Amino acid sequence: MTVALDVNIEHARPWHDRAACTHPSVVDTTHATNAAFGFLNIPMAVWIDENGNLVRPAESASIERSPLRDIDIPEGLPERLQLMYQSVKDIPDDGEAYRAAILDWVTKGADSIFALRPHEVIERSQPRSTNEAQAAACFDLGNYLRTEIGPDAAVHWWKEAHRLHPKNLTYKRQAWTLVTTPEGATENDLMQGPNDVYETNLLDEVLDSGGFSAFIVRPQL
Amino acid sequence: MILHELSTTRNDFAHFTGWEIKPEGLCQGDICVPAPDAVRGDGSVDVVAVADRLGMPVVHDAENNVWSLGPATLSGHALITAAAPDVPLTSFDGTPFMLSSLRGRKVILAAWASY
Repeated sequence: MTVALDVNIEHARPWHDRAACTHPSVVDTTHATNAAFGFLNIPMAVWIDENGNLVRPAESASIERSPLRDIDIPEGLPERLQLMYQSVKDIPDDGEAYRAAILDWVTKGADSIFALRPHEVIERSQPRSTNEAQAAACFDLGNYLRTEIGPDAAVHWWKEAHRLHPKNLTYKRQAWTLVTTPEGATENDLMQGPNDVYETNLLDEVLDSGGFSAFIVRPQL
Repeated sequence: MILHELSTTRNDFAHFTGWEIKPEGLCQGDICVPAPDAVRGDGSVDVVAVADRLGMPVVHDAENNVWSLGPATLSGHALITAAAPDVPLTSFDGTPFMLSSLRGRKVILAAWASY
C-alpha cells in the first residue's frame, strides 16, 4: 500500500489519479506515520506480516534506480539548479537490493533472511529521544492550527519541529512546499525555496548537511 | 494527538496514540505499562498521568489553549512493540482507512509525497 504524507489530500490526488493504483492508496494528512513508524523522508517503507507485526522498520524504499541518477546535467543551468541535480545524482542507490529483498520475503515469509524478529525491528527503528517526540507534537499542533486558523499559525510550531528533529525531512519539505508552491499550481516548486517564512530551504539544507545522505536511512540488508 | 483539555476518552486515546487502557495498564501490542492513575473517577483519561508513564511530551499553545500529545519515548526508539498500530489514515474518497483491514496479507507500507 502507498501512503501520501500530504497535509492536503488534494495535493496528492493528481498523482493518485494518474497512477490508477490497484493497491490501497491512502493519505496521512497529519504525518502520523512519522510518529508511529519513524519515517523521516520519502520514499520510506515498513514491512508488515500477515499477523499485523512489523518485520522491517522504516527504511529508504526505492525499488528501482531513478533515471535522475544517470542524467547528464545540462550545461548553462542556474548554479542552484545545477547543485540540486548533482545532489540528486549523489543519492545512494539501494533499489535493486531492496527490491530483491522484498521478493525474497514475499516468497519465503518468516523464513526470509530479510524478515527480522520483533526485538530486531524495534532496535533498528529510528532513535526517539524527548526532542524527536516533541517535534512530532509540535508538527501536529502546527498542522492543527493551520487548518483551524490559517497557514501563518503553523509557522512557529513547524519551526520548532524542524529545530527539534533536524533529520526529519518530511516535516521540512511539507512546510517549505506550502509557502513556495502557490495554491492551485499544477506543479510543485521542487527547489522549495529559499523563502521568506522559514530560515532554511531544501538545497541549502542538503548542502549544509553534506548531501541527501544525511536524511536517508539506508536499508541494512 | 490534539487536545482542548488535559483529559480525553479511552477510545480517543486508543485511536490517536495506539495505547489501550486495560486493567493491567497502558498496552500496545505485547507491552503493558502499569498506570493505576491513568483513569479518573469519572472514567476520563488523565493525560498528564499517562504522558508521564509513557514518556510522551505535552506541548501547549497558550494563545489558542490547545495541547498536543507526542508519541511515547519508552524504548528510546520509534517502535516500542513490533505490533503495527492503526494510525489515522484517509482514503482518497475521504473515508477513514484501517491498516488492520489488510490483516492476513503481507503489506509493504510505502510513504511518498507530492512534494
